Amino acid sequence: MSGELGKKLILHLKVGGMDIAFDLVVMAVAVGVTLLLVLLSWWLRRGLPQDPEAPPTRRAALLAAAMELAETQLLGGYPKRLARDLLPLITTIFLYVLFCNWVSILPIPYIASPTQDINVTFGLALMVYTMVHVYGARERGLKRHLKSYLEPYPFLLPMNLIGDFGRTLSHAFRLFGNILGGAILTTIVLELAGKAMRFPMLAPVAFLGGVSLGTLLNAWFGLFVGAIQALVFALLASAYIHIAVE
Amino acid sequence: MTGADIIAAAKYLAAGLCMGLGAIGPAIGEGMAASHALDGMARQPEMEASLLRTMIIGQAITESTGIYSLVVAIILIFVA
Repeated sequence: MSGELGKKLILHLKVGGMDIAFDLVVMAVAVGVTLLLVLLSWWLRRGLPQDPEAPPTRRAALLAAAMELAETQLLGGYPKRLARDLLPLITTIFLYVLFCNWVSILPIPYIASPTQDINVTFGLALMVYTMVHVYGARERGLKRHLKSYLEPYPFLLPMNLIGDFGRTLSHAFRLFGNILGGAILTTIVLELAGKAMRFPMLAPVAFLGGVSLGTLLNAWFGLFVGAIQALVFALLASAYIHIAVE
Repeated sequence: MTGADIIAAAKYLAAGLCMGLGAIGPAIGEGMAASHALDGMARQPEMEASLLRTMIIGQAITESTGIYSLVVAIILIFVA
C-alpha cells in the first residue's frame, strides 16, 4: 500500500520542449470539492427568502449564524468594513481546505486529499500572497505599501524580502506536511497490520489492532487535524492580510 | 554490500535521524505553549475561547520546523 503513495495517474504534456505533468486524481478531487462548495452555496442561497422583511427560514438562520461565527473567529481584529470585504475570501479558503482535508477519510482507493499535493497548497499560499499585496496596496496606497519593506531601517530590505518569501513557503509547507504526514502514518500502520496478518499466531491481534488503530488514526488525522489545519490556514491568511493593511 | 545498498541504507538512516531530531524542538515548544495556555485558562476561565484559538495558531507556527524536517525526510526517502 505504501507503493500507492508514489503510484499516480499522471498526464504528461510537452509544451514547447517543457515537460508538464498533471496529476489527474488531484485535479479531479480538487474540482470535485469546488463543485461541492458551489452546490452547497447554491442550495443555501436558494433557501433565502426573496423579501428581506420576511421572517428568516431555517437555512437563512444557519447561514447567518455561520457567517457571524466566521466573522468573529476568522476576522476578529479587523474594522467592520474590511471584515465584510474579506469575509467571502477567508471563509471560502477555510471551507475549501476543510473539505479537501476531509476527502482523505473516504474509503475509496486512489482518492487522496488534494492538499497532500504540494502544488495545491502552493497555489493557495500564492493566492494569499497576492491578496496580501492587493489589499496592502489598496488600503495604504502603493507607495506606503512598498515603503513598508524599508522599515524599520532601509538596510533591512533583504531581511524583509526573505521573511516574505519564507512566510509564504512555510504557509504552504505547513498544510502539505501535516496532511501528507498523517496520510503516510495511517498507510504505514495499515501496511504493518497487513504484514503481521501473514503469521497465524498474530493474525487476530493484527486484524483487530489494524482495524481499530487504522480507524482511530484516520479519524484523528482526517477529521481533527484536517479541521485544525484548515482553521490555521485561514487564520494565518487573515493575519497576513491584517499585517499588510495596518 | 554494493555502493547502491550503502546509499539506500544511508537514506533511511538520514530520514530517521532527521525526523527524530527534528521532532524534539517542536514537541518541547508546543508543550510549553499548551502548559502556559492552561495556566492562563485556570487563572481566567472567561478568556478560554480566545486563549485556545491563540494557542492553536501559535502551536501551528511552532510546528513549522518539525514540518520542515518531515519534508526533508520525505524527500530523502521518496525523491532523492
